[in-house]
Amino acid sequence: MNPAPESGNLLEVRDLTVDFRLDAATTLRALKGVSFDIPARGTVALVGESGSGKSVTALAMLGLLPGTHATVLPGSRVVYRGRNLLELAPRDMRRLRGVEISMVFQEPMSSLNPVFTVGFQLREVLTRHLGLTGRQARARAIELMHEVGIPDPQARVDAYPFQLSGGQQQRVMIAMAIACEPRLLIADEPTTALDVTVERQILKMIASLQERRRMAMLFITHDLALVAEIADHAVVMRAGEIREQGSVRQIFETPRDSYTRALLACRPPLAHRPRRLPVIDDFLGGQVIAADAPERPRGVRGEAEIVLEARHLSKSFQLGKGLFGKAEFRAVKDASFRLARGRTLGVVGESGSGKTTMALTLARLYPATGGAVLFNGRDLSSLPPGAGLQYKRRIQIVFQNPYASLNPRFTAGELLAEPARIHGIGADEQACRAIAIEMLGKVGLPASAFSKYPHEFSGGQRQRIAIARCLTMKPDVLICDEAVSALDVSVQAQLLNLLQDLQDEYRMSYVFISHDLAVVRYMADEVMVMNQGEIVEIGDADELYASPRHPYTRQLLAAMPRGLIDPAFDEFRNARAGAGQAE
Amino acid sequence: MTADAGGVPAAAGRASSGLWASAWRRLMRDRVAFASLVILMCYLALVAASAAGFVVRDWSREVGVSYAPPAFMGPGAPPAPAAAPAATGGPNEADGASSAIADPLAEALAEIRRQLASAPTPEPKAGTLVFGGDKWGRDVLAKVIKGTETSLLVGLIAAALAVLLGTLFGALAGYRGGWIDDFFNWFYSVFTSIPYLLLVLAIAAVLNQKGILTVILILGLTGWTGVFRLVRAEYLKHKVREYVLAADAIGVSDARRMFVHILPNVSHVVLVQLSLHVVLFIKSEVILSFLGFGVGVDAVSWGSMLNEAQNELIIGKWWQLAAATGAMAVLVTAFSLFTDALRDALDPRLK
Amino acid sequence: MLAYSVRRLWQFIPTLLGVVLLVFVVFNWIGGDPAYILAGKIANPEQIENIRRQLGVDQPYHVQLWIFIQQVATGDFGASWATNEKVSDIFTTRLGPSLTVLVPMLLVGTVLAMAAAMLVAFVRGSLTDRAIMIGCTVGQSISILVYILVFQYVLAYRFGWFPVQGWGSDVAENLLRYSALPIIVGVVVSLAPDIRLYRSYFLDEINQDYVRTARAKGMSEARVMWVHVLRNAAIPVLTHVMIQLPGLLAGAFLIERFFSIPGIGREVILAVERSDFPVIKAVTIYVAMATMVLNLLADLLYRAVDPRVQLK
Repeated sequence: MNPAPESGNLLEVRDLTVDFRLDAATTLRALKGVSFDIPARGTVALVGESGSGKSVTALAMLGLLPGTHATVLPGSRVVYRGRNLLELAPRDMRRLRGVEISMVFQEPMSSLNPVFTVGFQLREVLTRHLGLTGRQARARAIELMHEVGIPDPQARVDAYPFQLSGGQQQRVMIAMAIACEPRLLIADEPTTALDVTVERQILKMIASLQERRRMAMLFITHDLALVAEIADHAVVMRAGEIREQGSVRQIFETPRDSYTRALLACRPPLAHRPRRLPVIDDFLGGQVIAADAPERPRGVRGEAEIVLEARHLSKSFQLGKGLFGKAEFRAVKDASFRLARGRTLGVVGESGSGKTTMALTLARLYPATGGAVLFNGRDLSSLPPGAGLQYKRRIQIVFQNPYASLNPRFTAGELLAEPARIHGIGADEQACRAIAIEMLGKVGLPASAFSKYPHEFSGGQRQRIAIARCLTMKPDVLICDEAVSALDVSVQAQLLNLLQDLQDEYRMSYVFISHDLAVVRYMADEVMVMNQGEIVEIGDADELYASPRHPYTRQLLAAMPRGLIDPAFDEFRNARAGAGQAE
Repeated sequence: MTADAGGVPAAAGRASSGLWASAWRRLMRDRVAFASLVILMCYLALVAASAAGFVVRDWSREVGVSYAPPAFMGPGAPPAPAAAPAATGGPNEADGASSAIADPLAEALAEIRRQLASAPTPEPKAGTLVFGGDKWGRDVLAKVIKGTETSLLVGLIAAALAVLLGTLFGALAGYRGGWIDDFFNWFYSVFTSIPYLLLVLAIAAVLNQKGILTVILILGLTGWTGVFRLVRAEYLKHKVREYVLAADAIGVSDARRMFVHILPNVSHVVLVQLSLHVVLFIKSEVILSFLGFGVGVDAVSWGSMLNEAQNELIIGKWWQLAAATGAMAVLVTAFSLFTDALRDALDPRLK
Repeated sequence: MLAYSVRRLWQFIPTLLGVVLLVFVVFNWIGGDPAYILAGKIANPEQIENIRRQLGVDQPYHVQLWIFIQQVATGDFGASWATNEKVSDIFTTRLGPSLTVLVPMLLVGTVLAMAAAMLVAFVRGSLTDRAIMIGCTVGQSISILVYILVFQYVLAYRFGWFPVQGWGSDVAENLLRYSALPIIVGVVVSLAPDIRLYRSYFLDEINQDYVRTARAKGMSEARVMWVHVLRNAAIPVLTHVMIQLPGLLAGAFLIERFFSIPGIGREVILAVERSDFPVIKAVTIYVAMATMVLNLLADLLYRAVDPRVQLK
């Protein structure tokens, strides 16, 4: 066997075509003749939105596609060290997996076997591939856990997966993958499920691993900003095809394909705030976007009309413990803020910060444990029972998961007509139906959507229906709890545009919650940072991003992936910081 | 306003695409499911005809000689004298304590013997019958069909009752929580502490009356526990789903949330449970009738046929056993296959 | 764990009271005066009057209930109406034979079902899989009564491989000679539903992400099934077996009755046929208690087997 070449390609994919059989009648072509190279050193990023086929590509390379549904068509080649992996005997393929080519997956919690200790799963690779004895394997496992940055590996090696945090679980997955010194590591969205600060640490760790072990990596992601930071080459995919590939520099600075250009432009920029985000259609239609699009002004201006106010709001949950005891979990502690009419309050924080709990408490879906929520000056908790209904319609909420927030058994029309009926907005059935159709139009859906069920719509369309449902009641305040977080970048841009248009038309106030810092900055006038149930900082959006005061905010902003997209942002920050100091 | 890049998918020619419609379509494409459904329909039609009296109304008439063999076997030897005692040394008499307790059927049999002896012989009895004859020359085929009526009626009605109770209790317990949940859980644990068949037998022992209605009530009022547990778990799961929170946010009342919003999402589980319970109750009824606690002496059930078959097997008369077993096997198999296909068709994951 | 067990034992009390109440309602309220039942079975009217007095039939219900509760508390349910044997004696002598049949039946049945289910899951989607599944469906559609009758007739009566029925006095003899056919019948009857159920457990596990990870690590298919999947699937199997247990305790009664095995199940059937209320009541209460204890054991075992479970 020749040693791995220092330059040249480690692995070449040629004309990879994969079909999926959905049921007896329908077949879907998931990959349509994909070809790209992976060089022996460095990182190749496979970028695309959901449904682009990037995960299918990786699974096909390792022969991990479910045999019953998926067929790799003849003519496809995955050439590794002179051999076509797709034609390899199963036994040889098994010897390759985990040893020369390894893979790390997106959800570490479910990717680890829950009933075996972490150490057992690590040792398995060592004993079966490298032939180590039990004791040797255990010692090596501890070394590996140390190398991937798990604190106190001696103790943790006997822990079960559920006892570790998400970040630690992913580190264990990576340790398992590199245990046998593979030449190629395939990472399928390894950090998507993790908080942004943890993501940063893991990416740094992977980079140093690569350096030390001279390992190539295929990094699959949907996040372009990440690509710019960590990859040397990029392959852009859409709907099973490769749209563009080349060096990262070339793709980001001089993209040739219209889809690539659209992807790059759709992300909310950090340095300025265009009135409308460009969407994919603009690019695919061949139009050219003007570089100096009009700006949307945002910021705190000290208005008098405060529509929503929280005063020392807190929410705790009771958990049983021990024989008769109860433990209290304080999800939100002493939150106070004010929201003016027609403005947007952005809320950022990582998982466990309490932002969703706060959203649900504001919408009065959870009863507050302490403090008060005032709407137009009235304390909502002191309302007489009958009056609750009319205030319900003034504060509405859009949830994160478009697949769970619409009742699968109701048609879109029924979903929209129901609130109209309950609040007596429509005089009769006809009127309610008319309102439903009107709202569908407002969110950009055709009238034919009225009689369709949620599963017939895409994620972005379902969020539109959810927004339309809130709109029927003409709320004053709309709480968007990670409303665009589950959507692809291009769909996200469309929805952000829609939300802003609606805000202009109806003068709604938004509480916009997200973990995506760039999106929050784009949408918000004022930004609130939450950590572990507390508000650590609150202030004007631009100011907060330019010169954060609280150390947690600084940590959060530093972890934000920025890549090559916005060198202008640093300039902007410095300019603002200078202006701030002068005042 | 911004238009959606994807556009609403064109659903040319498809009227509705709800859960039931697409499940039905998927079901019909499955050949096994289709065949099972056809068989079930045949059985139901037979039961309807039998219940209305169009067929086998006179199943209890003795049309054949005693133990008439099935047609394909040809007539057997002339029957033993009619006065042979009913209870032969079957496998269930080894206790020795039977002399102290009278055979519950003794009076009925004595009466039959008297009537046989006294009545004039009106017409010659058939030498063979299609499926054979039992000890008194009754047509086994007719008995099997009548037994089908018993089993299906009991199965369907008792299952409907049990599922209704279980769903109602489960919905209340799962959705409301608190002391309502505690109460129903207590109720559930009381019922499930006692093994099902034991409970059913105990109640049957106490009630002095037999009959289809009694059996239906016993099975239905004790068989709700499985459905309760499942429905309660489903409600607990759905109660915290976002679409229910959204309904709360727009002001939907509790009752409406329970029955208009959540129930349709749980109904596929309930339907599968209904099907499973029909099978369970048919089998339970057979056991009950076998032991003498099901239908009365003047009605027929597969269970009572099996009871008679006990003694017949020793003397080599196997056709009543075969007929009852065959009819039951075909029905239950068809039902089970249909239930499996139904479950697969309704599986939301396959969307 | 101790705190958890104590809390669970504490919760037994309301359930047990509920069972007592249920039994009382069924037998004393619905059943009422047993004279009409016993009239045909006990010749001696004085005996019947004795029984009625013991039950307190003429007294108000709460007195009757108190009598019953005392019986439960002391474990003395009086004597069987049919044989006059003390009910508590009936239990102690009948438990052994029941267990001699039940325990091997459970063990053999579970191991066979798991192995078969695993093999079927391994070849899922193939013709073998479909054939076996349909075989199981058909097998399940035949009443247990038929299995007992046919097996007894063919294997014991006709071929003479096993005794038709009976019981001896020596444990080993009972186990090998008299229990053999009953155990076989019991295992065969339980195989079909168990294979189907366990197969679904295995298939659920095979579709999990951690199986994909194990394959990605280069583990052989055999190791994936026998180590990774089995360990996870064993959990619901164990739960299922524990849940079946109390049902089996009283539920092998058909097998015991036909094979004349002097166990608890056969006592129950006889008692039901003879309307022997004290025996039925006592069995019900005792089985209920056994069920609660077994459920607790099942939960503790669950905790030992599944590391994710936290006892609350």
